[in-house]
Amino acid sequence: MAYKPQYGPGTSIVAENRRKQMNPGQKLEKVRSVTDEDIVLILGHRAPGSAYPSAHPSLAEQQEPDCPMRKLVKPTEGAQAGDRVRYIQFADSMFNAPSQPYQRTYTEMYRFRGIDPGTLSGRQIVECRERDLEKYAKDLIETEMFDPALVGIRGATVHGHSLRLAEDGMMFDMLQRNVLGEDGIVKYVKNQIGEPLDRAVAVGKPMDQKWLKAHTTIYHSLVGTAYRDDTEYVEYVQRIHSLRTKYGFMPKEE
Amino acid sequence: MTNAAFPQVRIVPIRMLKPRTAERLLNMLAGITGIRRMMIHGPGLPKIVPYGPARGSPNPHSDRRAIHVGDAEIALSLQVGEVILEVEDASVIEEIRSLCDGFFVKFPYRLQEGRFMKTAPTLVDYAKYGPDADTTLIGLADPRNGESPVIIRTEQ
Repeated sequence: MAYKPQYGPGTSIVAENRRKQMNPGQKLEKVRSVTDEDIVLILGHRAPGSAYPSAHPSLAEQQEPDCPMRKLVKPTEGAQAGDRVRYIQFADSMFNAPSQPYQRTYTEMYRFRGIDPGTLSGRQIVECRERDLEKYAKDLIETEMFDPALVGIRGATVHGHSLRLAEDGMMFDMLQRNVLGEDGIVKYVKNQIGEPLDRAVAVGKPMDQKWLKAHTTIYHSLVGTAYRDDTEYVEYVQRIHSLRTKYGFMPKEE
Repeated sequence: MTNAAFPQVRIVPIRMLKPRTAERLLNMLAGITGIRRMMIHGPGLPKIVPYGPARGSPNPHSDRRAIHVGDAEIALSLQVGEVILEVEDASVIEEIRSLCDGFFVKFPYRLQEGRFMKTAPTLVDYAKYGPDADTTLIGLADPRNGESPVIIRTEQ
């Protein structure tokens, strides 16, 4: 029988959302639309409309060694063209942000090719070839994995994921890269490392509390779903913890 | 020396305050007699990007601006997360509580009693201000940034 990944345990809506994001067979709901130029502006790696700088000649131009693995694995578009490796980094609020660092890494590993994610407690960075990055970034920003108020695109100075939200519901950002306008739309006024943009980039309205609670991938006993309410998840984690602890003693399951 | 017996409280709203709200809250508190010292606390908003690739470039931020409390002007350089107060006696705490109950209507807050502010100079304070420092001002400002506390005089 072919192996079918289960992606994760749990019966709560949070567990369901985690599985949904990780499962590449599930199409993520598109919530907003951001143009390619806007993405390039927020990333800040190159000027919009300029050519992609390259790190090496395209694979078509250079002689490839005779390697069975290279024949087997098709290069991504960016690797084929010899693009530079660039990054996007997200900071996700613990107050019901739709994705979280570990969740992002799992999701990206299942859904994207040619990536190198880095996971930290409050931020998650993903590196890949530049034109692949812009494509993936568009997916990550336009779908239900993003919320304009609770997710920050922050290349540096990421502090804020565990802080209380501001009065207007925005996650703290020392560099105030994104501002909530009078019209209720969040606009990026700086690129991800904090350099001012020539024009503001709108990323849509913050989602409401009900939507966030229904789409979050973090357990939070005060503002969302409590972890201990998901007994299946707790049981699974306890089992893993127990087996890992006993591993040195060669455990045998009855 | 500040008497360690003076009660201290802190006001912790569930949301971090915008300068306008902080200004209203502080003005409300400034009207209470019996508050000895007051400190606002929260994550900093530096004028210059301190690190990262954009290090050294200006950091415009709409929440870093001056507010007016009583007759004094305070240059906010942080997002107001909590307000720490040292009061004369326990009756003042109840007055603060009743005023805050009326103030925080859009989101809740907590009023906690404990020790949140220095009552004696530490080694760093000694190194910065010397042995003859005014101990009532100790702990009210960050010794490293050179800013001194603001004195608020209200008409009573």
